[in-house]
Amino acid sequence: MKTVLVIGGGVTGLKAASELAGMGYNVSLVEKEDYLGGQVVKHKYYKLAPDLRPAGDVIDPVIKAVESNSNIKVHKHSRVVAVSGNAPEFKAKIKNSKGESEETFGAIVVATGFEHFDPIVKQEYGYGRFKDVVTNSEVEEMLNPNGPTKGELKRPSDGKVPKKIAIFQCVGSRDKQVGNPYCCRVGCVVSTKQAIEIKEKCPDSEVYVYYMDMRMFGRGWEELYGKAMEDYEVIFTRGRGAEVTLKNQQLSLRAEETVMNRPIQHSVDMIILAAGIAAGDGTIDAAKVLGIKQNDYGFLAPKDDFLSPNESSKAGIYIAGADKGPLDIENCIVEGAAVAAKVASNLKN
Amino acid sequence: MAENTDKMVIDGVELTGIWKEFLPSRILYEDVTTEFLDEVKKLPGGATIAKCYQCGTCTGGCTLPDFVDKFNPRRFIDLVRRGHYDILVNENKDLVWKCVSCQRCTHRCPRGVNTQEVVRAIAKFLEDRKVFGKLTNDEAFDEVFMGEVIEDGRIDEVKIVKDFYSKTGRLKDMMRADQLSLGFKMLTSGRIKLFGGKIKDWKKVSQRLKEELQ
Repeated sequence: MKTVLVIGGGVTGLKAASELAGMGYNVSLVEKEDYLGGQVVKHKYYKLAPDLRPAGDVIDPVIKAVESNSNIKVHKHSRVVAVSGNAPEFKAKIKNSKGESEETFGAIVVATGFEHFDPIVKQEYGYGRFKDVVTNSEVEEMLNPNGPTKGELKRPSDGKVPKKIAIFQCVGSRDKQVGNPYCCRVGCVVSTKQAIEIKEKCPDSEVYVYYMDMRMFGRGWEELYGKAMEDYEVIFTRGRGAEVTLKNQQLSLRAEETVMNRPIQHSVDMIILAAGIAAGDGTIDAAKVLGIKQNDYGFLAPKDDFLSPNESSKAGIYIAGADKGPLDIENCIVEGAAVAAKVASNLKN
Repeated sequence: MAENTDKMVIDGVELTGIWKEFLPSRILYEDVTTEFLDEVKKLPGGATIAKCYQCGTCTGGCTLPDFVDKFNPRRFIDLVRRGHYDILVNENKDLVWKCVSCQRCTHRCPRGVNTQEVVRAIAKFLEDRKVFGKLTNDEAFDEVFMGEVIEDGRIDEVKIVKDFYSKTGRLKDMMRADQLSLGFKMLTSGRIKLFGGKIKDWKKVSQRLKEELQ
């Protein structure tokens, strides 16, 4: 059977689909939204770390490769509602607003990705209560010339350009209170990148990053961190943001400067929460429909983390990308290609 | 020639020797130990101390520093874990008692440390080592308060104030005009009573409590 179902039209799903189509497979790509590109397009990611290259440079060719390939059938605004059968013959029901259709597939690739953590549950940070407390994905939309502010950095309450900006790291990651004790793996570098972008846009602004550890393990990340400190004078303070209050009509944050052993109060114009990564609705839905194993945090669990990282607990169903856990775009593309190779070699035998 | 010996001649002056000896490194703490950590861990409420990852959420949101500026739960935990007993005693022994148990730190801790209980356990750890010398006000009040609860089963405000002042040797202070007028105001407004009531058959409970606390 030379047909493959790919669930999820984000970076990973797109890459997997185009690779499989390139190897001669007929691919059906199912995406729940009416656009391709996943979170990158949804939140209008502007530039990518560490090279500050436009996200469009990366995502547009990946989308184009799928749209221009006649072996790929794209189902937008669709969901996979039921799957029956076993490897190598699955029957999947794909539902959209017009109705349902049933197709037969040799393998299923799940690339349902992640969703940004919603910081409203961290009530001490005042997200939702104070307009000028925003998330990192909202800042990304702000910095993008195609975004709501046309690329201008304006604080939401009065439209003024913020002079003092604080960034809180690890919001909804490494936090047992919200049930996410894992690291989001991208927050550090995204915040560093945004700090640099803000400094480039408004050179007289002050940017303070409140962090616990800066985890710069990716390609060029550590160098970007150095650049932020040396060339852009971003101030990194070791101490987790503790709370945000309003003082004399201005945002006031409290944290401990742990290096100095003292709590500080800091008045700023805008606070950016580096919200972490959570398993998305699509991932949880897919796990339910397909009956594959999840880990403690809702992400999909591979059959063997080391030896078969792209196989799910069920034969013939493959998983890849950020639905297995937090992952950056660079590695999502690697995952998409890896899962395509695995599917192709398994279907051949 | 011995190892680590650098041969150097500058402007005809021979500067040969072990540079390490010319510039001794500054080592302040030689022996770091986890024995205090183990001790605090075993005390009631101290079990979660090892979970801490030193982010400072507790101190950042603490309600006390506005009044007691050096109060720092994260640092207390750090000092115990690193075995810096001398700093804990010299700089922090009078601070650890000041916690008002508002539980903000415990509620917010991202690692599930029961911070308030851990701070109490550290205070107990210091108390067990008798670092306080004479009775502090906090301790004296605790003793008077608990003594009264065990003896009578309830608090008699006038008696507790009198006992507290006499225990800390400040009975004269109690007789100051402002204290007396405050007491009079509270008495006339019904805030306090001159004699607290008795609880029936408390003796038996009191006996039992004393046995338990032995």
